[in-house]
Amino acid sequence: MTQHLWTRLLEAKSRLAPVQSKYRVLFEDPSQPDAPAAVLVPDPNWMAAALEGNILPPIDTYLRDREVPDGQPKEHPYAEPIGAMNEEEAIEYLIMKDIPPQVWRDYTGNRAILRIVPVELIPSDRSYRNAWKINQLEMAA
Amino acid sequence: MSNLVVSNISDGTTSVGTGYVVNGSAKAWCYLNGSGTIAVVSSLNTSSLTDNGTGNYQINVTNAFSSEPAHFGLGGNVSYWAANTTGSEIRISITNTSGVLVDTNRVTGAGFGDLA
Repeated sequence: MTQHLWTRLLEAKSRLAPVQSKYRVLFEDPSQPDAPAAVLVPDPNWMAAALEGNILPPIDTYLRDREVPDGQPKEHPYAEPIGAMNEEEAIEYLIMKDIPPQVWRDYTGNRAILRIVPVELIPSDRSYRNAWKINQLEMAA
Repeated sequence: MSNLVVSNISDGTTSVGTGYVVNGSAKAWCYLNGSGTIAVVSSLNTSSLTDNGTGNYQINVTNAFSSEPAHFGLGGNVSYWAANTTGSEIRISITNTSGVLVDTNRVTGAGFGDLA
């Protein structure tokens, strides 16, 4: 019988060293054109679980659960876990799980609204944080 | 992993039902550094953090709550805060005493409630 996802996460946290990802995901939500670019930061314990394998459920269970209203039974906590991912696959999984589909699936415009970048490219000076946008010129180069 | 199945835990004088212990535990928590290069310092049951702008963060949960968390509490170097929650994400706004969104280097949050 498959253990509940939360139980697997607890067990993994007690056993695995956290892994700080070398990537961040920059994205702009087309439904909020005035909002600054957002930055997705992978959780170190989650990344350790993704690299270890046999802990996280298949991504399609999350995608199906998006359509299930809160309060209704969800599929992902009870699904059979998947095997180990490499870091790049884990980032792709995380994009589909934690970034709205209108960014990574449905957008058809010309503007680049999603970019995976090394963490060093994220400015540590946040003085103008609310003016951050994805550099379109660099994308075209 | 081995399981200890008991109904109550006792210190010899007082006892508590294990249901209270299990249901009363935080099902997701996160300690994040919200200044400089944003990072998750430590956590349980979170998959990622979204930095949406100054003082505006979102904690994404790995194992969703059955509905929104029954309770979400927040602490750290925070004057005022507000949270908007669903079963799978917790949006946090941090403000100073003037109501202006601000970054802070230490934000800790914990969610309680039933899991999906």
